[in-house]
Amino acid sequence: MTPSTVAVQTAERLTAAAGLNATLDWSPELLATEATAAEAIGAGALHGMALAVKDNIVTAEQPTTCASKILEGYQSPFTATAVNRLRAAGGMVACKANLDEFAMGSSTEHSAYGRVLHPMNPDLVPGGSSGGSAALVAAGVVPAALGSETGGSVRQPASFCGIVGVKPSYGLVSRWGLVAFGSSLDCISVFGDTVARSARVLEAISGHDPQDATTFEREPLAPFVPRTDLKGLRVGLPKEYFPDDLDPAIRAGCNRTIALLRELGAELVEVSLPHTAYAVPTYYVLNPAEAAANLARFDGVRYGARRVGLAGDLRALYQATRGQGFGPEVRRRILVGTYVLSAGYYDAYYARAQQVRRHLALDFQNAFAAGVDLLFTPTTPSTAFAAGANTGDPVAMYLADVFVCAVSLAGLPALSIPIGRDQGLPIGGQLIAPFMQDGAMLAAADVMERHLDATGEVR
Amino acid sequence: MKISKQDVLHVARLAELAVDDAELETLTGQLDRIVEYVAQLEALPSEQTATSFHPGPAAVRLRADVVAPVPLARPPEAFAPAMRDGLFVVPRLGAQEDA
Repeated sequence: MTPSTVAVQTAERLTAAAGLNATLDWSPELLATEATAAEAIGAGALHGMALAVKDNIVTAEQPTTCASKILEGYQSPFTATAVNRLRAAGGMVACKANLDEFAMGSSTEHSAYGRVLHPMNPDLVPGGSSGGSAALVAAGVVPAALGSETGGSVRQPASFCGIVGVKPSYGLVSRWGLVAFGSSLDCISVFGDTVARSARVLEAISGHDPQDATTFEREPLAPFVPRTDLKGLRVGLPKEYFPDDLDPAIRAGCNRTIALLRELGAELVEVSLPHTAYAVPTYYVLNPAEAAANLARFDGVRYGARRVGLAGDLRALYQATRGQGFGPEVRRRILVGTYVLSAGYYDAYYARAQQVRRHLALDFQNAFAAGVDLLFTPTTPSTAFAAGANTGDPVAMYLADVFVCAVSLAGLPALSIPIGRDQGLPIGGQLIAPFMQDGAMLAAADVMERHLDATGEVR
Repeated sequence: MKISKQDVLHVARLAELAVDDAELETLTGQLDRIVEYVAQLEALPSEQTATSFHPGPAAVRLRADVVAPVPLARPPEAFAPAMRDGLFVVPRLGAQEDA
């Protein structure tokens, strides 16, 4: 199929899927332009593949809003490295996808442009913050998409929507052109309908970028070597990720997958990551602290739609612009972040959380050093929840990230793959790999995917 | 309660964020819940201290300190509201500035 045909068909599917509210900007004309460029490139690893791009990744051709009123109409003068690399490999940007405002959230209910609907049940959330990208892949509108992770924002919606979500090692993919939220955590990440397709996209966008000094100076990710089984692999099961009160359906899905891992030849061993209980509180100190610093630039002078305050001076302008431009969750995180960084509280919260982050990273390092090749865990503590279920209690929403945020703090690669269903809703299983072992993780997931009954009921 | 309304107003001033009286009560409750939650970190035994952790390359190598044009899809004139002599023209901000 030619890129032009793919573009036309993608436009038809985007129109049909408008009810999901998963897109923030797209047009048949821009898609046709993308197709012309892809045809000019000819062959490429992503030749003719249409991808959704989360709207916190800048593209020069269309607005980048981060789903925030403060950036309404903002158009970047440059394009993110990851998007440039997609296009260089023959890929096409299908649309900019809806998200939680500035990627802060776990349900894509915190978008200034309305919530994204779960493709299987409109009363449920698709997860977040990359919920628009996830919903578009799950609905079959596009085969792959770019999202971003700060603390699970691709793996969690991938789990809720029954697709593959891959978070690479920190430093494997350039952050140039990803609107900064938590700079020590942010990773452009990939959704796909299969592990193999997700891997192809990740390979295309990975590698050193002089524009991002935190990328590793090494070659892009090489295609993984396909495996026929998991013989010789030791897979660790961290006991802290399988608590007694784990949802019975999630446990059933995991038990079925653990049995499959054993059948495929893997050796299963219980391991302990003793600081796991501190992961969510650590994350919700460091993440708001970094957010408060990064979002200082949205002040109506450097960035942001300017509002004039009543007092008519500069501070009133800042306060009115930010007070009216940011939504409730962004405001909460800026306030919490400013609080934990303020005089008198810095040592008790921020400095403490930085120390605990080291312990969390060491937990993983110790497990891998003891001879474990990969870890397997549930991705989320539940299947997709109802819209509105957690919006009144921010901490309840944060706990949706309980199995995903420690990995982000440690900078490790991890992915979520569908492992079965409960009452029709997808359950995700998570693989976690040692730093820069993204390829080995993808190869193992590829074998699992071929043998898993991903759409079968787990109990 | 770890957080008072005064704390919220103080932090909002530091963050240059206007907070309405109408939302102050709710916001104070939510911030108190969040800070109370993250305060669990205090429970970690104090002997378990460590240096802070940053993922990524051990030593970040900076680009050469050379002035070079940033590759832009459009020149600044195309996205600035107004320019004069190569500089951005912005509205005068407040009465404290000279005319």
